[in-house]
Amino acid sequence: MNTVAIASSDLRELYARESAAIQEEFALSGDGRSALDRRTALVESILLRLWNDIISADAAAPKDFALVATGGFGRRWLFPHSDIDLLFLHTNSGGETAFKDAVRRFSRELWDLRLKLSPMTRTLAECEKFDPNNVEFAISLLDCRYLAGDRELFSKLREKTIPRLVSRECQKLVQNLGDITRARHAKFGNTVFHLEPNVKDGPGGLRDHNVSTWLALISAIEKLKMWPDPTTLLPASSRRAFDDALQFQMSVRCFLHFRHGRHDNTLTWEAQDEAATRKIGAADFEVATAADWMRIYFGHARAVHRVGVQLLEEIPAAWSSLSRQFQSWRSRVSSPDFSVVDGLVFLQQPNSLQDPEMLLRLFHFVAEHGVKLSTTTEYKIEQVLPSLAATPPRGAELWLYLQETLVQPHAADALRAMNALRLLPVLLPELRGIEALVVRDFYHRYTVDEHSFLAIEHLHKLKESKSEVDRRFAGLLKELEQPELLYLSLLLHDSGKAVPGDSHVEAGLQLTGSSAERLDLDPADRETLLYLVASHLEMSAAMRRDIFDPVNVKAFADKVGVPERLKMLCLMTYADIKAVNPEALTPWKAENLWQLYISAANYLNRSADQRVHTDDSNAALSHLHSLAPVAGKKINSFLEGLPQRYLHTHTVSEVLAHAEMAVQLGKEPVQLSLKQVRHWYELTLLTADRPFLFATVSGALAAWGMNIVKSNAFSNASGTVVDTFYFTDRFRTLELNIPEWERFKQSIAAVITGKADVARMLQDRLRSEKGHSTKVKITTQIDFDDTCSAHSTLMQVITQDRPGLLYKMCSQISKHGCNIEIALIETEGQMAIDVLYLTAHGAKLDPVRQASLSKALYSELNAM
Amino acid sequence: MTKIEAIIQVSKLDAVKDALHGIGVEGMTVFEARGHGRQKGHTEFYRGREYTVDLIPKVKLEMVLADDMVEKAVDAITNAARTGKIGDGKIFYSRIDEAVRIRNGERGDAAL
Repeated sequence: MNTVAIASSDLRELYARESAAIQEEFALSGDGRSALDRRTALVESILLRLWNDIISADAAAPKDFALVATGGFGRRWLFPHSDIDLLFLHTNSGGETAFKDAVRRFSRELWDLRLKLSPMTRTLAECEKFDPNNVEFAISLLDCRYLAGDRELFSKLREKTIPRLVSRECQKLVQNLGDITRARHAKFGNTVFHLEPNVKDGPGGLRDHNVSTWLALISAIEKLKMWPDPTTLLPASSRRAFDDALQFQMSVRCFLHFRHGRHDNTLTWEAQDEAATRKIGAADFEVATAADWMRIYFGHARAVHRVGVQLLEEIPAAWSSLSRQFQSWRSRVSSPDFSVVDGLVFLQQPNSLQDPEMLLRLFHFVAEHGVKLSTTTEYKIEQVLPSLAATPPRGAELWLYLQETLVQPHAADALRAMNALRLLPVLLPELRGIEALVVRDFYHRYTVDEHSFLAIEHLHKLKESKSEVDRRFAGLLKELEQPELLYLSLLLHDSGKAVPGDSHVEAGLQLTGSSAERLDLDPADRETLLYLVASHLEMSAAMRRDIFDPVNVKAFADKVGVPERLKMLCLMTYADIKAVNPEALTPWKAENLWQLYISAANYLNRSADQRVHTDDSNAALSHLHSLAPVAGKKINSFLEGLPQRYLHTHTVSEVLAHAEMAVQLGKEPVQLSLKQVRHWYELTLLTADRPFLFATVSGALAAWGMNIVKSNAFSNASGTVVDTFYFTDRFRTLELNIPEWERFKQSIAAVITGKADVARMLQDRLRSEKGHSTKVKITTQIDFDDTCSAHSTLMQVITQDRPGLLYKMCSQISKHGCNIEIALIETEGQMAIDVLYLTAHGAKLDPVRQASLSKALYSELNAM
Repeated sequence: MTKIEAIIQVSKLDAVKDALHGIGVEGMTVFEARGHGRQKGHTEFYRGREYTVDLIPKVKLEMVLADDMVEKAVDAITNAARTGKIGDGKIFYSRIDEAVRIRNGERGDAAL
């Protein structure tokens, strides 16, 4: 037996014994840093023994050859199953040849000890060359450490070669590091908040810790042309949290390696349970459950991720050329309140955040421009947070800013930043429970809060998606009247998951109600918000049934009631499924969701003439009567015979107001109500039904320059019509002249009663608007359907929207002796989509009348 | 050993799974599928556009069973998935030569 063989046997025994001792000590102390130090020292002692036995009896010899630790080993971060990165450094290639066999034996002995060796052999000159295909080697040199051999050679590497390489190739190094890091983050969905995170490679993991240090180091070497003081690399404001995170993550990764017996860095649920029980890295914390321990984990990971992302933004060379152009554009978005430098937001007035409104404006700015907060801005926010928490903004003021933030393209990033700084739970304490909350199931990949942010992000991303399927949903999003309510409902939809119990929906409703109260939402908005949160699983449930079965479609559509809610629910389902994990919304599911949506939307349009019968039991009616018991008879008389759709599309207070207007018809035959609602005006008309009525009012509105966006026309059993027109004021006539409101209403009443000639009024208007351009050409399409209503013929007209359209179309309908029983008018961009329930002499339209009307309409619409 | 492939309606998945669990079948693989047999497609018009679905959404279940379980499983699937209408689906089965449990190398029925 030769001496090396004896040494190997000794070393194997030493390695096994010491490794077991390290593991035992870790089991008792849970101290990762200490375990890494001991293991690094153990491996170093083995390497030195082998160096003595194989290379040189003198640890500081031979000349021109040195053994160097790089990478994790260089940092003294030798986790139980980490690779051991070694560099065999030679002065020149002659030495490389001379020691080739010895290096081979040296390496083989280490492999025989079952150490995972990653050896490299390089000359000094080779170390200085930058290889774009092996950036990792250049980066690994940043952690180089002398182990044995020619100390002077090592000094040349560290003090001259590396600073020269880094100074010369700084930009490429940082750019490559930035690209590799962004690609790695993208692989993990750019979020820290995974239910089973990877503590090394996941965002906010140990690799991000390294990246931050490397970026700071490269930047400092480039400036100083020498190695900086390592304690000054990171700003003092970040260092404490960064170091605490490192201690914690070292312990966690060490724990995982020992637990799994291999190089496995995934924090599985089982590992989380054990880590929580043993309070790994969290001896000083209150840890009752695995969820508590994971919150500590996410807190640390978030701190590391923030520093890494900020450094990637701050160090200009980290940007690719495309990214630089984008950053340059973002620098131009500075405002009097905020300046943007290199994609980071700074405050123009350092103390401006004392004003809570400025704080809300800051996050609106972030959501609008997709910029990140600078470290100093974050620090300022943290300073004002305690005083803000004492008297947080609430009510309409908070909702005003929050809704404007939610509809901005980078809303999810703004929410994440608010959450990271603990501002979001101050504004909406109902979200506190889901912060970094792990709820275990086999489908979700992210924590509950991140899932909600991601859902919002997916909806915003729809606008830029090129996918055919996404574009359908993007079209729906564009049509929404109040997208802010959808976004708010997504933010709150899983808030109940923090509450123990069987139904997170029930608990979520309580919390949503409390949020609505806090934001002082108006009753209709509150109702919509609660509806969406209560129903957020309904469409998924309906998709598990036969989506082509009319019975199922009807059951689902009846539950939803109105097209606007259907659109919101469909988009909510899309976003909710998509945010579960990147593969959750398969093309199969997306297609099924769309099919269910269009079937239900068509059903709602084709069943709009189901009438209210006040003798029948009806939940909506009972609710109305309970709210206004004295007005019961009046309400019944007004509602009798109105389409069910009317009840779905109007709030209780609106129905009561309309019932009162109906009573007033005895005194004044035309009752009008005009109000400004959000983006448009709403004109409600009650009067006795008569020919050309809908056409006349449409014409009068067009004559005033109003653009009808949407309209509903209903009539009850006693022949009273309730028509509602939603229009935009193209020339700001009403907005700029309050006295005009009365004149406007009088003008509408005059055309209805025949005192004014709508044709002449409209003629003047249309003459002045001739030659208006159309951006998208819509081909007119007219379809009749006799099957979906028992009493009426349904006519759908899709055509180019233009001034006076509704007047012309409805005039033709009236000229053909048809009565408009129900009108559902919508516009989508430049497309008008009008669904009309028509009768002639109280019956459906016969084929002759349909053909004649169709011909006349095509002729009229094509001539416009 | 026999492999069963069952193509059923989406709405019947939970019922079929429950029925299979009821007779002791624990393992199965479920695929999202599209297809049609005699059942025709579906056309819907929306916003003036025609959306035609030639291939109807279905789910496909696959499982490999010991031979003495096969008839019970087929009965369970049939009873749970049947509505009596066109489109209820189909069951195919075929012989399997061998099965290996990757974790411990067990073979044959023991690996199922």
